[in-house]
Amino acid sequence: MEQQTHKKLYSTHAWVGIISGILLFIVTFSGIPALFDHEIEYWQYPAYSEQQNTTRVQTPFNLERALQKSKDLNFNHDNYFIQPADNINNHVILAYFSEGKEPDLHYLNADSYQEFPASPSELNHLLGHLHTDLHLPRPWGRYLVGLSGMAMLLAIIAGIFIHVKWRKEFVMLRPKRSWRLLLTDQHKLLGLWSLPFTLILAFTGTILGLLGLISPILAIAAFNGDVEKATIAVLGPKAEVTGEYSAVYPLIELLGRLEIDMPDTSVEFIQVSGLRIIRSLEKTDDKIDDKIFTTEGTENTEEEIKEQNIKQLTTNELITDIGGIIKFSGYHKDKLSNLESVTYNLSTGEKIHQGSFIGKGLFQRIFAAVTPLHYVLFGNTWLKVFYALSALAACGLILTGNMLWLHKRGHGMQHWLSKSTLGICGGLVVATSVTFAASQVMYAFKFPLGSGLHHISEEWFFWGSWLVMIAAPFIIKDGFKLSHYFLRLTSLAFIITLVADGLFNQRWFWLTEGWVFNIQMGILGSALLFLYLDYKMPNKANIRSAESTQDNNYSAETV
Amino acid sequence: MSLTNNFFNRFINNNASKNTAAIFGTLITTIALTVCITLLWPFGNVVEQIFAGGTFFFIFWASLFYWAILADTGKQAWIRILIILLPVLAIDIFSLLFNLQIK
Repeated sequence: MEQQTHKKLYSTHAWVGIISGILLFIVTFSGIPALFDHEIEYWQYPAYSEQQNTTRVQTPFNLERALQKSKDLNFNHDNYFIQPADNINNHVILAYFSEGKEPDLHYLNADSYQEFPASPSELNHLLGHLHTDLHLPRPWGRYLVGLSGMAMLLAIIAGIFIHVKWRKEFVMLRPKRSWRLLLTDQHKLLGLWSLPFTLILAFTGTILGLLGLISPILAIAAFNGDVEKATIAVLGPKAEVTGEYSAVYPLIELLGRLEIDMPDTSVEFIQVSGLRIIRSLEKTDDKIDDKIFTTEGTENTEEEIKEQNIKQLTTNELITDIGGIIKFSGYHKDKLSNLESVTYNLSTGEKIHQGSFIGKGLFQRIFAAVTPLHYVLFGNTWLKVFYALSALAACGLILTGNMLWLHKRGHGMQHWLSKSTLGICGGLVVATSVTFAASQVMYAFKFPLGSGLHHISEEWFFWGSWLVMIAAPFIIKDGFKLSHYFLRLTSLAFIITLVADGLFNQRWFWLTEGWVFNIQMGILGSALLFLYLDYKMPNKANIRSAESTQDNNYSAETV
Repeated sequence: MSLTNNFFNRFINNNASKNTAAIFGTLITTIALTVCITLLWPFGNVVEQIFAGGTFFFIFWASLFYWAILADTGKQAWIRILIILLPVLAIDIFSLLFNLQIK
């Protein structure tokens, strides 16, 4: 490669990194708890683990009972979702989402189908939403996350080409030399070792983040700009509400057919559209299908006929609009696809759409693999741990990159970018651990369930502690000292989390088992990791003047 | 005239112009290229057509970005963009206007 090309790539790598670095750190670091979303959800609320039966063997999902329960709970929505129990959580969730409103959620025990109170803690959502949307309004947060993924992709591509001596760099670490060489070696080591994972995460993350932005472009080409039509072609049709009702097709038969239509698939979501509840029907003027439910040989008024129909409907247990649908979606157990779905008519049981990406064209298979690859919907827990460590390495990569950029220009902690990097990136790590601790300590206050106070407190602790940490570098001038404080504080908060969990929930880690134990070990491991980093991190660095360093920037890095 | 030329050259040849070409120029070109591939992809059904263009949207964007940024001047960067953009745009317009989809 020509030296000039190499130099341009090097410069682009540095500038892309420095412009997107802080945002990229936020997205990457928050991706670690987002990866363990279900596991953290299970651990954060003791009542979830109490839903496990004594044998810990999962009861097969009973759709009829779930729908019946939705009716009993007056869960009267035209379009809602059911999330069956998974291999971590032993509860079924009934969910209704509405634009701009809080979702209507009901949690049912997967064995008894009795409702129990939802978690007062929303720690997993708090951290997960930061990763997917940066807590910004949709879709802007998602687009920003996608753009940060794109920046990561650009930085990685340039990084691959500029590190020509990668065989040597795979093992090179000179801790006894200068601070800058240590940063350079760490940056290269972390980048090279985590390269396959960061490349996968960047590529899949960019697609997931910017999919909404490119969908209209694709719709223009294939469907004359009709996004709705494009969505239906890929994901299947929506219910067409007719206002005419009939009994629901036998659900046991439907589930039997589902096993044939979607073999080796783990059903994650069931979308129900058009199912109606009698009590609410009485209040509406919806037309009831005369052919199906009219009482013959009487001369009753319209109101009386409707009332009689409703009585007749009541005996039929579950009633659906004849255009109602039920859609089962999930991921294939052996192949990389989370876009497997089959849609049936709720009234006739007719299969109206099947979306499968298995055995299809190359590009459909690549697209179907995006989410499984990004969220590790394959392999086992150790693979997730490996992903998490790679994401942590990517965080180190971003931080060392930023520090190198600053150090090479002779900037110390006085520079606003140094302070911002330390405050925002280091602050996020501290705020995450503090929120973990606060979430468990809140159980001591026994806030009334449904009051939302527990979650509000978590939000306050998270944003409040992050804000304090962002301000800290502007008050404490010694960045190294502050970094040590941050690392110790993070470790301490994780230890407090475990102690609080033992004290207030009686879940001392030597008494727990299953996923609660696994998460507690993860928290303990994180505490020890941050203590180790605190031990290994130097207390000061020799920052050379800008004049002496800038001339040698490029040549020093290429050695 | 020479003053206008001089101003134009300075305007188009600077680094800001090169960066604009690399970021926004390539974005527009990628969009046009994606539409073109989606329209003309000969294999599979309509869903395959959609994903053929969409899956590698970002790879096209990244590749074009580096092709533009590695140009010596802003003018060269814009020429590189236009070399791809113009024919692709022509194909898009003809295909959309006359519905010349392969399938």
